[in-house]
Amino acid sequence: MRREDIATIVALIDRSKNDLLRVPGAAIPGVLAPTIFFLGLNGVFGNLTQLTGFTTDSYASFLVPVSVLQGAGFTGAAAGVNLARDIEAGWLDRLLVSPAPRWALLTGTVLAASLRAFIPATFVLAVAFLIGAHWPGVGGILIAYAIVAATAAVAACYAATLALHYKTQSASPLMQAGVLALILATTAYAPLELLQGWLQEVARFNPMTQVVEGARQGFLGTISWEETWPAIVALAGMLSVLGALSLRAMRRTAL
Amino acid sequence: MKAIVVEGLERAFGDVLAVRGVDLSVDEGEIYGFLGPNGAGKTTTVRMLTTLLLPTGGRASVAGYDVVGEAHAVRASIGVALQEAALDPLMTGRELIRLQATLHGLPAAEGRRRADELLERVDLVEAADRRVGTYSGGMQRRLDLAASLVHRPRVLFLDEPTTGLDPVSRKTIWEEVRELNEDGTTVFLTTQYLEEADQLADNVGIIDSGAIVAEATPDALKAEIGNPHIELQLEEGSIADAEAVCTGIGKLMPPKDGRTVLLEVERGAGDIPRVVRALDEAGIEVASLELVKPTLDDVFVAKTGYHLEKQDPTASSAPVDDG
Amino acid sequence: MRTNLRVVRALGMRSVRQTFRRPQLMAPILVFPTLLLAIQTGGAGSAVNLPGFPPVQSFLQFMLAGAIMQSLMLAANSGGIALAVDIEMGFTDRLFAAPISRYAVVLGRLAGTAALGAFAALWFLAIGLIFGAEIEGGVAGAVVAVALTVGATVGIGGIGSSVALRTGRASIVQGLFPLVFVILFLSTAFFPEGLMVEPAKTVAQYNPMSFVVEGIREPIIAGLEGSDVLDAVLAIVGIAALSTLLSARALRHRLATGG
Repeated sequence: MRREDIATIVALIDRSKNDLLRVPGAAIPGVLAPTIFFLGLNGVFGNLTQLTGFTTDSYASFLVPVSVLQGAGFTGAAAGVNLARDIEAGWLDRLLVSPAPRWALLTGTVLAASLRAFIPATFVLAVAFLIGAHWPGVGGILIAYAIVAATAAVAACYAATLALHYKTQSASPLMQAGVLALILATTAYAPLELLQGWLQEVARFNPMTQVVEGARQGFLGTISWEETWPAIVALAGMLSVLGALSLRAMRRTAL
Repeated sequence: MKAIVVEGLERAFGDVLAVRGVDLSVDEGEIYGFLGPNGAGKTTTVRMLTTLLLPTGGRASVAGYDVVGEAHAVRASIGVALQEAALDPLMTGRELIRLQATLHGLPAAEGRRRADELLERVDLVEAADRRVGTYSGGMQRRLDLAASLVHRPRVLFLDEPTTGLDPVSRKTIWEEVRELNEDGTTVFLTTQYLEEADQLADNVGIIDSGAIVAEATPDALKAEIGNPHIELQLEEGSIADAEAVCTGIGKLMPPKDGRTVLLEVERGAGDIPRVVRALDEAGIEVASLELVKPTLDDVFVAKTGYHLEKQDPTASSAPVDDG
Repeated sequence: MRTNLRVVRALGMRSVRQTFRRPQLMAPILVFPTLLLAIQTGGAGSAVNLPGFPPVQSFLQFMLAGAIMQSLMLAANSGGIALAVDIEMGFTDRLFAAPISRYAVVLGRLAGTAALGAFAALWFLAIGLIFGAEIEGGVAGAVVAVALTVGATVGIGGIGSSVALRTGRASIVQGLFPLVFVILFLSTAFFPEGLMVEPAKTVAQYNPMSFVVEGIREPIIAGLEGSDVLDAVLAIVGIAALSTLLSARALRHRLATGG
């Protein structure tokens, strides 16, 4: 990696923060949505922990990693929506006619999403601890944040692929729905053995289930390598596939 | 050395051939005016030359590099200001130029220095730290132009740089383009304004329906159309008398109204004294007399059969007072 | 009168077409509630085994009313946003200047919203039937559920419209979007009240949306017994009265101040 490429990535991250800092209230929806879902689902489904199969009696602890990942997913999808807006406005052309390598242009967008995802994650975690979710330990928190960053990157690659393909913000629902389905079609609401019918099958094979479980371990007990490495493998796999797809989409914008 | 060489360039979108076999060449240091109405294929051609769009046929090279095979080298050599001035309204002007410098691999310190220089050059120093969203149309175009110059490109592409601008802003951009060209930058300029091509371009290519219909210097194109003519408006007296007087000097053209005589003359301005003397001797009073040279619009009409724009400022006509 | 009815119909058709043509508008109303229905049914479906869960054929059967409720509230919100956009673009000014009742302009938008609500109700009932959930009240029960949905869409849509008329700004109506979910989570849309967790449980007990959703739910999970349906009708009448009052005042304010 050359010095210029790193500078390009940093500059694009720097620009991306304008969307949050220079538009009044822009950060609110991204923070509010996962928080409302966290508090709402906790109030609604909180008594599910009475079912045999749950290893905790704190549904808040069970749910908070999912809500944090949901926030990360939405942040990643928003990066795709913003990219579609940039394409519509012609801004992407400005980047594409420069000699900066395409992967660096993409990395700037994706990394910006990873960093931005820390904002909703931090807020949701704070709310969760306020209402009594278990403290996962410093290790558990670090794992959660690492997974947040990687999940936001996965979502951003997916959403960017769609943005570069469709070149319109009309594709936004597809970006958001896809990310939501990926994150929630897992053991999000209940342990695998309690999931019903099709969702149990999907969750069993959805790589995101490993990620949810990896983020969740500290909140339900102690962290272990056995529950961490599957999350790393799953995230690495999704990142390489979706990263390659989005890079391919970036190179095909001239077709 | 050629700055741009285009051979049989084609671009199809599905079944529609937007650009159908364009050939052109631009010398280094030249300003090339690419003239045509909306939808003629100007922007599609520029997008192919700037590596934003792949051709579906033919080939093109810019600054000596193939736009498909050596796209990266092309990008490093060109500056581009596209028609839909793609500026981020949330950034400041200075931030935009610095970002552009970074994209072109300039070290941070040099990027800062270039930003200062360029903002000065396009007269945006005071607005430099305001958000682009607050800029007027003319300021945005000037900023876009400045940003495209950050890496001192050898070839500059300007896609309709003055469309929608007021006459003053337009002149400012023209002056800037001339200066750049004097510094040795090759400029490829698309425009739908005849006056713009006439004012700036060393060579003009006229594109219509995806194909080049004429290419030469503005003067050569106009000469192709024929001789200039004198337009006479009478104070009083009959058109027929005036026409009778003029008939020996040049070739009468069909009059456009009851008070005007149109006379095609071979020598242009050199024929004016003869006309004035003859009218004076016949006692015919003249309200105004104008020498009208063929315009690029005439060229355009001759080549395509329709007018390019409704009101073309008659930049190349030379009014002469009757005194 | 006839002219006004024609205006309401034309504007209603316009708003329905607008929604169906734009995926960004359609997605929140149908796609997201469907997605959530699927995931919540699979994810929390074992809840039917909890002691105290009302007798239902399946969790899907229970959740249909919640999905309809979510969809109709989002349709109501979108209707408000669309009206605010019309105000921002000056489209309503053109209509207000025409020799038609000003209320017809607002009612036209609401008619479109109501049509979307009806469509959503049918959509989710169809999904239920396809995936094996029976409608205990039969065809009559389905008609009652759809009718309540339409009524509730108009009532809640009226509140959205009043905000649009009052503020004339789409971004403010859009800002109500999260509120829709807050209200839903604090109602019995997704879970029986007796099994909810405090403080959501207590709020849900008094939330008028709980009455509406239970009224839509009863014909689906139990049949046409009537008591919940009656409560829902009363709740809808109350909401409609409030929204009529708010809209009328907002409209007067807008016409008096010129915006």
